[in-house]
Amino acid sequence: MYQYIVRRLMLTIPVVIGVSIIVFAIIRMIPGDPARAMAGVNATPEFIEQVRVRHALDQPLHVQYGRFMVNLLQGDLGRSIFNGRPVTTEIGERFPRTLLLATVALVIATIIGVSAGIVSATRRNSLFDNASMLVALVGVAAPVFWMALMLQLLFAVQLRWLPATGIGQVRHLVLPSLTLGTASAALMARITRSSMLDVLRQDYITTARSKGLGERIVVYKHALKNALIPVVTVLGLQFGILLGGAVLTETVFAWPGVGRLLVDSILRRDYPVVQGTVMLLAFLFVIINLVVDIAYAFLDPRVHYRSESGE
Amino acid sequence: MQNKKLLLIVGIAVVVIAVAVVAWWLIAGREPPVEIRDTLTIAIGAEPESLDPVRMTSAPAATVGEHVVERLIYMEEDGSLEPMLATSWSANEDSTVWTFQIREGVTFHDGEPLNAEAVRKNLARFVDPDVGAAYAFLLGSVQEIEATDEYTLELRLAQPFAPILSHLSHSFIGIVSPRQIEGLDPGDTFENPVGTGPYVMDRWSRGDSIRLTVNEEYWGDTPEIPVLVFNFIPEESARIVALETGEADAIMAVPPQDVVRLGADPDIDIVFQTSVRTIYVGFNNLREPFTDVRVRRALNHAIDKQAIVDSIFEGSAFVADAPVVDAVFGHTSVGPYEYDPDRARELLAEAGFADGLEMTLHHPTGRYPLDATVAAAVQSMLAEVGVDARLETREWSAYLQFTAQPPDQAEYDSYLLGWGTVTLDSDYGLYALLHSRQWNPDGNNRGFYKNERVDELLDAARVETNPDSRREMYHEAIELIWDDAPWIFLYNAAQINAVRANVEGLIHHPLENLSAWDAHFVD
Repeated sequence: MYQYIVRRLMLTIPVVIGVSIIVFAIIRMIPGDPARAMAGVNATPEFIEQVRVRHALDQPLHVQYGRFMVNLLQGDLGRSIFNGRPVTTEIGERFPRTLLLATVALVIATIIGVSAGIVSATRRNSLFDNASMLVALVGVAAPVFWMALMLQLLFAVQLRWLPATGIGQVRHLVLPSLTLGTASAALMARITRSSMLDVLRQDYITTARSKGLGERIVVYKHALKNALIPVVTVLGLQFGILLGGAVLTETVFAWPGVGRLLVDSILRRDYPVVQGTVMLLAFLFVIINLVVDIAYAFLDPRVHYRSESGE
Repeated sequence: MQNKKLLLIVGIAVVVIAVAVVAWWLIAGREPPVEIRDTLTIAIGAEPESLDPVRMTSAPAATVGEHVVERLIYMEEDGSLEPMLATSWSANEDSTVWTFQIREGVTFHDGEPLNAEAVRKNLARFVDPDVGAAYAFLLGSVQEIEATDEYTLELRLAQPFAPILSHLSHSFIGIVSPRQIEGLDPGDTFENPVGTGPYVMDRWSRGDSIRLTVNEEYWGDTPEIPVLVFNFIPEESARIVALETGEADAIMAVPPQDVVRLGADPDIDIVFQTSVRTIYVGFNNLREPFTDVRVRRALNHAIDKQAIVDSIFEGSAFVADAPVVDAVFGHTSVGPYEYDPDRARELLAEAGFADGLEMTLHHPTGRYPLDATVAAAVQSMLAEVGVDARLETREWSAYLQFTAQPPDQAEYDSYLLGWGTVTLDSDYGLYALLHSRQWNPDGNNRGFYKNERVDELLDAARVETNPDSRREMYHEAIELIWDDAPWIFLYNAAQINAVRANVEGLIHHPLENLSAWDAHFVD
């Protein structure tokens, strides 16, 4: 088990290196340059040249990449071209905010999604089932920015219960995390329901029922554990997506997280910040997947990880 | 198995709670708004890139920065130049040596005294090639900077440069405490500027807001409102929501399409202010058929500028009557080209395009309010006179590069762009965009316009010291440019801000700054 974890952790290194090469190349291949993004129509040729030289953008690509990797090994992600601040500081300030938002959103999504899924599955074709699946369908389909604006209009403008934008207090967290959690909740409700229905059809459930066990015990003790396995997969993936994909939510609610930092930095051609942010997100994605795989071992006794393959 | 499951659940719960607590701890600290009446909150669309004068490049940076850091000369809303940190100035006979008297008795927020040497250090840093300020070109004519005594500063120019004073009034040429820049490496910068302004930098919550507190020792009139907060809200609709809920007392850049709805709210005032930005479609003057002045004029006649202003901007823009806006020194009204599709067809026929022609029209999307909509309107109006314009858009940064290619590589027939004449002097607007020495890639003449007489006039006006003669030179140049029609002259953009009705005294400056030092609440 531990060997397995170590091996998986080692595997993150090539993944992150691969990601770094791809990001490094792509961001430099798209047209536009940081000096122009900064000074706009006023960028003088001298300024463009100065920025290129100061950030070594005049060097061949492999030389730039080599410098980048050498600095990275020393824990230095470079400085933002846009504002001259260390990339680690930029990300360090923003990442906790995104982490907080994604975590709360995921908790909301899990609580709502899994319970709605279970109830729907056990009362299949009931009014509740149909209603909640309809809501889930809308939740999956509704664009995030639309959902965000509707929540703002209702709770901030009409009812005046919650602030529309900003950070700092728990009240500020409610609308963005609800927005972000809704789509995930809907997805989880659908997955939980179908997985639960699958499990409830299996023989051992029939056996359990024929033994005379109460429905409650059958559902929560026997069925749920197996039904949750695909849910855990989705949960892990959703967490990764929420961390990197909260751009729209962060923009509408003026929530200063890494999603917005990443998009702004791409628009500004702020190469070091883009590289740092994408690599962090890639790394987290790999780690989350690892955690999900380990969770399988707890949830499913058929799954064992050994250091030797397949034995 | 039960134990394992329990362990898993407890483990997940612990991780989730730990993550939430740590994240909370890391971001907590921004105080809740104290007394509403103590704090004026302004929502702006973008975060300043920096408040270090040598790193500033945007209007949001200028808006926040000028509350903290001041410059030698202040430009009033009407373009007149007023003393700020310099109390008076004079030039020698041929205007190559400028002498400034620095205000006495002013201290920086860190207690350092303001004197000529402090100013010299700042200006020297601004023009230092190793520092690489994006706007160092504003002082490109300056050869030497010297503090001749405690409160006297001398600027020596290589040759006379008439707009030097308005250049010095630019928001980016701010004076910070010498202690802040001493020992700073050329490539280095600082986060929180220490200036002499009416407000003191308190806290910059990255990505979220900047908080300023009043400078009780201010040399001028101390502002009434103790705390000033600038919130960064990039999304237009969210900015409006923030104003409607009172989270913000004022917002900048209201989208034109929301003006009517927002104006209906009795608690909200809409403020229209001219800007210094003119929007145009430049022709590639080296490319057929735009080498023919008849074609260029025809396309000007084909566009109903008034309709664009009325229907797209709901009246919150002005039809351009010259290549610079009217507030600019040297402006003369020569336009607009009359909207006359028949005249346009006639001119096209004369030029040999009776059956129409095809062209590309490149434009940005989202850089200027409704820019893509304007491009589409231009396209449909051109279609009326038989010109088939294909629209092509690019993301802003890529667009800038695409339209900055040298003549032999420029792959565009026409391009939609805007230009803000931020010094309110024609030199900044005309020389940079229309002098033939400023062709790509050396400057901003992206359409490769060249008229030798215009070049002569723009050169002469740079060194002419008599304002009346200068004005005449610009008038002649503007008339020539207008006849040559190197652009489709479109409209001058307006700024639309919105303020809650209980706030008075905000200055909505044509330079796209919103200043709060004279603001107060009313009941």
